[in-house]
Amino acid sequence: MSEVPVVSLEGVSKSFNGVEVLRDIHLEVARGEVVSVLGASGSGKSTMLRCINWLEQPDRGTVKINGEHIGVDAQGKQMSVRALASLRARTGMVFQSFNLWPHLTVLQNVIEAPVHVKRIPRSRAVEEALALLDKVGMGHKRDAYPYTLSGGQKQRVAIARALAMAPEVLLFDEPTSALDPELVGEVLAVMRALSLDGYTMVVVTHEMEFARAVSDQVVFLDKGKLIERAPPERFFTAPESERVQRFLATHR
Amino acid sequence: MNSQTWLLLLEGAWTTVWISAVSIAIGVVLGLGIALVRMLRIPFVDQLLVLYVSIARATPLVTLVLFIFLVAPTFGIVMNRNLAAILALTLNTAAFNAEIWRGAFLSFSKEQREAAMACGMTPWLCFRRIMLPQMITVSLPGLVNEMSFLIKGSPAIAVIGIVDLTRVTNRISAVTYEPLPPILAAALLYMVVIYALIQLQALAEWRAHRLAV
Repeated sequence: MSEVPVVSLEGVSKSFNGVEVLRDIHLEVARGEVVSVLGASGSGKSTMLRCINWLEQPDRGTVKINGEHIGVDAQGKQMSVRALASLRARTGMVFQSFNLWPHLTVLQNVIEAPVHVKRIPRSRAVEEALALLDKVGMGHKRDAYPYTLSGGQKQRVAIARALAMAPEVLLFDEPTSALDPELVGEVLAVMRALSLDGYTMVVVTHEMEFARAVSDQVVFLDKGKLIERAPPERFFTAPESERVQRFLATHR
Repeated sequence: MNSQTWLLLLEGAWTTVWISAVSIAIGVVLGLGIALVRMLRIPFVDQLLVLYVSIARATPLVTLVLFIFLVAPTFGIVMNRNLAAILALTLNTAAFNAEIWRGAFLSFSKEQREAAMACGMTPWLCFRRIMLPQMITVSLPGLVNEMSFLIKGSPAIAVIGIVDLTRVTNRISAVTYEPLPPILAAALLYMVVIYALIQLQALAEWRAHRLAV
């Protein structure tokens, strides 16, 4: 792995009100790799993911996107709002609660950032957005407002919105946890297709089957520590740590 | 009432409408500005704005109008009546509007803001494209209420000699010795103006159903 990792966390730690939620996390994600992040609730999975695009600021450690420091530079100086924004534009995030913008239609949600952040011409943005909406199976809803959509449809639009910025890495924060069970499948299917397209993805999830079938690597967080990292076959059949064995036993 | 009296009434109504409209327009924007600056929590400036909002909200309009009109000359400022009236109404309504905008700002969804940040928007772009359109929809009912209060409170500007829609009724009845017809006619004109405003509220409601996700 001589190539620069798309995401790298080095010694990332963070506390909320004196409680350590991340302890000295080291993680590298290579281009095209799908990394699933597992762990009990409160183990720090989401916080770790949110440190990657600096929605949470680590107290210590460095985060790099494609080798470039995000948030603070190599000298530890806070970067400008503008510089931070343009680095974030190179990542895409999909949230548990979708977070679509309710005053905009499906199509407008998808083209908003390409047009106003990347400043690409509207006609081209629309063309690309429609292709992405077709990819996630939402092309027929281009003029609908989010409140008319089901959870699964909202999440697929949110995925198209993240893809529209042509990000170098997609960050998924429990993308199916807020969905009715019968809607989980349609979102996972889209994510599976993205992994086959070669997207680099970091997925915080409770979907064991998905993690097993789609990931290249599975990492496990326990009380803010990254205690296991392994390819899925090994992770699910022969985990090293006793904590992971217990976790898998209760989640089978 | 003859056509001459109606003409006088309409003139008064026009005075009320244009002075209120100018004050409302400035007051809505100024209120937003005050709310935004307060969100930045700049020491001293913040306390100053809190003080302004408290005083402006607590002062009766008549008192504020008189105060501005009478105090300006002592600072060497030549203040015509209309300008004093607009200044007083604006200072009053901006304070109330600032609180309405602030409420909309504080209750804005953190999740939506994060989604905007995550795709590379700067805070300013996020405010302009994501927050403001929704804040307008959410605030409009409150803002329209405040606008109608302002119009109904605008007869206060008569104390410095402006002949508005209420003042003109006194003038008419002083000549005709029949106070009731002009007052009823004035009430009708106030209602027409307020009714037009309330249509804005209907627009806001029509747009608001989308936001309830």
